[in-house]
Amino acid sequence: MLIQLTDIHRTYQVGQEKVHALQGVSIGIEKGEWVAIIGQSGSGKSTLMNVIGCLDTPTSGRYMLNGKDVSHMVDDELADIRNREIGFIFQNFQLLPRETALANVELPLVYRGVGAKERRAKAIEALKAVRLEERMSHKPNELSGGQRQRVAIARALAGEPSLLLADEPTGNLDSATGEEIVKLFETLHGQGHTLVLVTHEPKLAARCPRAVRLSDGHVVADGPGAQVARA
Amino acid sequence: MSFRVDFIEGSRIALRSLSAHRLRTVLTTVGVGIGVATLLAILGIIQGLNTSFEKQLETIGPSSLYVSKRPWVQMGNWWEFRNRKNITMEQVEAVRAQSTFAEAVAPWMSNEEDISFNGIDLSAVDITGTTPEYAQVGGYDVTQGRFLTGSDDDNLASVAVIGADVASTLFPHSSPLGARIRVNGRPFAVVGVLAAKGKVLDENQDLTVLIPLKTFRALHNGYRSHTIGVKVRSPELLDAAEDELVGILRRARQTPPSKPDDFAINRAEQLAGVYNQLTGALYGVAVAIGFITLLVGGIGIMNIMLVSVRERTREIGVRRALGAKKRTIVLQFILEAVVVSAVGGLLGTIVGLLGAKVVSWVTPLAATVKASTVFFGVGFAAAVGLVFGIWPAARAANLDPVEALRHE
Ligand SMILES: Nc1ncnc2c1ncn2[C@@H]1O[C@H](COP(=O)(O)OP(=O)(O)OP(=O)(O)O)[C@@H](O)[C@H]1O
Ligand SMILES: [Mg+2]
Repeated sequence: MLIQLTDIHRTYQVGQEKVHALQGVSIGIEKGEWVAIIGQSGSGKSTLMNVIGCLDTPTSGRYMLNGKDVSHMVDDELADIRNREIGFIFQNFQLLPRETALANVELPLVYRGVGAKERRAKAIEALKAVRLEERMSHKPNELSGGQRQRVAIARALAGEPSLLLADEPTGNLDSATGEEIVKLFETLHGQGHTLVLVTHEPKLAARCPRAVRLSDGHVVADGPGAQVARA
Repeated sequence: MSFRVDFIEGSRIALRSLSAHRLRTVLTTVGVGIGVATLLAILGIIQGLNTSFEKQLETIGPSSLYVSKRPWVQMGNWWEFRNRKNITMEQVEAVRAQSTFAEAVAPWMSNEEDISFNGIDLSAVDITGTTPEYAQVGGYDVTQGRFLTGSDDDNLASVAVIGADVASTLFPHSSPLGARIRVNGRPFAVVGVLAAKGKVLDENQDLTVLIPLKTFRALHNGYRSHTIGVKVRSPELLDAAEDELVGILRRARQTPPSKPDDFAINRAEQLAGVYNQLTGALYGVAVAIGFITLLVGGIGIMNIMLVSVRERTREIGVRRALGAKKRTIVLQFILEAVVVSAVGGLLGTIVGLLGAKVVSWVTPLAATVKASTVFFGVGFAAAVGLVFGIWPAARAANLDPVEALRHE
């Protein structure tokens, strides 16, 4: 099991009130799976993504990632886990605007301490995987939305993480460009990558082999994408 | 991830961010630069003043002791000093005979009197009656004619060796040698002119007339106290020579063992104490002003760093998501602050040194600058960047990655 979440709670304190974003989530994800997380706005999808991505720590519960218990890790250890195990893909791309596509893709390798030559080679390889190697010296504002998201995917791939995490990756793209990205995910899934994808589009979720539906911080459905998306 | 990698990446990010905001960088740099420049100019002027004072002190003989009834720097009961026994010629002879450290011993007496020549008057000139050894003890050179001799003294000759300023005032167009000047109305033949020595704490050493000691004594009937100048073989022997002199004088003056010394042994260093007292507080204020200017520059840096952190909140979130540790972020922002400050420090140092030079050209203040000052300037500015960069950097590192990524 690559991911094993057991009874995960995440509670925010807002003034006097407590917001229970996750209320006892337990799911397991195997290596090579492609899982969509769906649910109404405010159901806790992003919160779950942040927990899985080790950007956020659960209030209670146990999280085993790749055999390691990350629920009680300190900040530096979590940074290392994010660097080695996770590849993030965000809705609004989150590229560094002043850096070239290549430099953006190199970034996770920089923080891993990989030497300049090897870093460059790996980054170019990742850009090739998203068919953007000719644009590697362009800055983000010189690229289209779809191209930007492909740079972001290349960045997520560059570090060869065990898990790709995407939060609404097509949310800022038109449907044709979104389709391009989904095709890319299908290719990556075919190559054996593990993908967890947050989306509110039932059509997209239906194309995933597996989907998990959240409601009010609870898992209310978990099964084949086409089935869960319809419900 | 190693510190080396953190450092290289941090420097790269810092330089990129600085060049992306050129105007802001320049303004911040100027802020620190002004602080460093002010501080260095002030320090340069102070160093210059101190050096010129040290040079002045050297003119009164760094390896000489001066025995007198009263200390140069008086502390305590004036009446007690006044009632002391005079220093007599017998005591001078005792020092001459017994001191093993002395290279030359010169007794003298002096008084302020009016002098004139050819209708030009000079009032309140220091008239000193002394012996040939005075040249050695006081470090006087003769530029024209000769110094006083032993036979001048034996013959009670009416001859005078005049200071450089006396010569230039009384003899603007002619040679003073052989001329007869009047000291308190009595004629004296000028036999020599002293080389210029300058001032010590406002006392002009060139406004002086030297005459033979016995001649002086004959003119001033009253019984006066001598000053004994003792030139010691080298400055390191001053303490030993002083101890020896105390013994010789106590014996010669028959000072009872139970009583403290009833005479004073002075040296140039004592004037340094007076100088430091006079100038210390002033310097303190000047340096404090310099530091405050630098502090203002530092606050400028902190302000700009806080702006930079706010602007780059998303970037910080991205870096954290991709695996940057807190210390990597801290280093990145501190390097940015330190680079701005160090560049400001370098510019400030150059401007400060030029400022000090300009001051020394347009005013009588002599500014000197030591090489170490430059390192001090740059190093200090960098330290200011470090201190004022820490807080913004810590704020950046402590941002919650999730919040930072969501920042607009
Ligand atoms: N930092 C926070 N402080 C307080 N409450 C929060 C915080 N982040 C999220 N929440 C709350 O937690 C709940 C789940 O939020 P989350 O962002 O996970 O929803 P989501 O399913 O991603 O919604 P969307 O589809 O709109 O993105 C919401 O009620 C939200 O208001
Ligand atoms: Mg969300």
